[in-house]
Amino acid sequence: MWHEVLAEVIQKTLSGFGERLSAFGPNLLAMILILAVGALVSGALRVALRWLLPRLGFDGFADRVGFATVLQRGGIAGRPSSVVALTAAWAVLGVFVLLGIGALDLPIAMDLLSRTFTYLPQVLIAIAILVLGSLVSALVRRTVLIGAVNAGLPSARFLAGAVHTGLLILFAAMALEHLGVGRQILVVSFGILFGGVVLALALAFGLAGRDLARELLERLLRRPREESDDGLRHL
Amino acid sequence: MRAPLPLEPQVEARLAEIGEVDVLLGIPSYNNARTIGHVVRALSAGLAKYFPDKRCVIVNSDGGSKDGTPEAVAAANFTTPGAILVSHRLHPVHKIITPYHGIPGKGSAFRTIFAIAERLKARACAVVDSDLRSIAPGWVELLVGPVLAEGFDFVSPLYLRHKYDGTITNSIVYPVTRALYGQEIRQPIGGDFGFSGRLASHYLGKPVWESNVARFGIDVWMTTTAVADGFKVCQSFLGAKIHDAKDPGSDLAAMLVQVVSSVFDLMETYHERWRGVTAAQAVPLFGFPHGVGLEPVNVDVSRMLAIFRQAARDLREIWQAALTPATLADVEALVGQDSRAFVFPEDLWVRVVWDFAVAYKRRVLPQEALLRSLVPLYLGRTGSFVLRTADAGAEEVETIIQDLAESFLRDKGYLLQRWSGKAAEA
Repeated sequence: MWHEVLAEVIQKTLSGFGERLSAFGPNLLAMILILAVGALVSGALRVALRWLLPRLGFDGFADRVGFATVLQRGGIAGRPSSVVALTAAWAVLGVFVLLGIGALDLPIAMDLLSRTFTYLPQVLIAIAILVLGSLVSALVRRTVLIGAVNAGLPSARFLAGAVHTGLLILFAAMALEHLGVGRQILVVSFGILFGGVVLALALAFGLAGRDLARELLERLLRRPREESDDGLRHL
Repeated sequence: MRAPLPLEPQVEARLAEIGEVDVLLGIPSYNNARTIGHVVRALSAGLAKYFPDKRCVIVNSDGGSKDGTPEAVAAANFTTPGAILVSHRLHPVHKIITPYHGIPGKGSAFRTIFAIAERLKARACAVVDSDLRSIAPGWVELLVGPVLAEGFDFVSPLYLRHKYDGTITNSIVYPVTRALYGQEIRQPIGGDFGFSGRLASHYLGKPVWESNVARFGIDVWMTTTAVADGFKVCQSFLGAKIHDAKDPGSDLAAMLVQVVSSVFDLMETYHERWRGVTAAQAVPLFGFPHGVGLEPVNVDVSRMLAIFRQAARDLREIWQAALTPATLADVEALVGQDSRAFVFPEDLWVRVVWDFAVAYKRRVLPQEALLRSLVPLYLGRTGSFVLRTADAGAEEVETIIQDLAESFLRDKGYLLQRWSGKAAEA
């Protein structure tokens, strides 16, 4: 008797599983298909960008605006065009992963998808802030470097590097703050860091190095008169 | 048909009163009350002495002076004709004092002067700086005479200068314009010019008045346009040019950027004109050239060379974008020389300038940053020049400058190849 009950339970379990599987199966298949297409598309995009970007002069442009330097300092090997191609490919694959998750039609998956798309604009803006920061800091670094060399300042390279690094940190902090990552810690840390640096410089310059400060100021004020004493008239 | 430049209503009325003139003398100004009176009197005296029978006008084109410059112009009159052996004029000298409009700068002031010259159908014109202390009545004859009497369209000034004056002109502007356009105009950015009414109308028709020409490039633009567009050009020796003292903190980098950017911009405009020029010809010279002993001048060569050496280390990545590898290597090889015997060879300087011209055209870097990075190279070259000519007289120095100019022309093939992209960047 209990053999029959057992058989009935097993049969019900298997048919129930079968029903759930037949209901869920198409969604699963759709997800697998979407992921497969995504892999193909991202692979094709990567190949296409690795072919196209060098021909458009992207590597030279990246070098000029300092993007290549930023990548090198970040320990990222490879040409800027390869890095951009890889990043774009992963971004596209990520989109297809999200679509695949959406195909499962599970409440938790739908919630995750919804949150991801809500957060996506913040990520894009943060990336834009970083790119802008890279461009601006490279431009300012170059301007400071040339100006300092033309003025005969011995620490021209250090000055330009400090300005460059400072601006990069500023823009990185802005991007993280925009993403809402450790907002309060970021603001406080940034304030402490910059405030500390400025205070240290002021103390060093004003107290410990006040004789040096006076000498430097005198030299700076004297320099325009010296340059005018130089009898050369360039025009 | 070009629309006429609008002028102030009172100026239009004045032009209608005057009708037509033979000679127009223009003075651009901005806060020059201290000096402009002397300039106006010198011009008035010059007109009285050399063109007493011509209908003349003096035009002051002012940029909104706050120190009474227009009033100084109005009040300035030449009242001692006996001092320069002049009896009386047949025609009065008219004066027009007008503000100019457009981008602030000497170019915009000149544009107003050109427009007035066109309206008045002036046959011969001249423009002079408003802070000249060494202007004499004879300048009027020297700038206007070749136009009226000899049919020239453009008169470039030639000044008496110390051997260390005008190093940007001597090492860049003169050799480059000579090599490109084939005319030996020795001081292309002199600042005081004579020109025909025909050339003034030609200038007005050019679409440059919203560009850097209006701000700071008008001098080299006038000279280059006159030469490149086939007008008849000459030079007049004016003697010494003594200005009012300028701000002692004048920025060399800003000066060099302004001048060289103007020269390089014009290279792009007139590419079809200069690429076929293979020789330079002398330009007729009016006046009586003479030289006088000039006081020795102190030059801080060690500072120049220090900046050059520092730049060779710190600006390498920027110079790499502008110079070919071979030129860069040769520049870097100069760093180890003894400061007392530092030599920046002529042929290397020529390649540096031509490389920068090509880099400017290709926009390898923002143009201002590119030209600012040329400053240390210019200082290295100038330091070398000063050391070489320390004991040289004016004639020997001029020979050296002419040799440099000839080097630019001789190596023009290098520029042509690089400009067209045909040369391998060796």
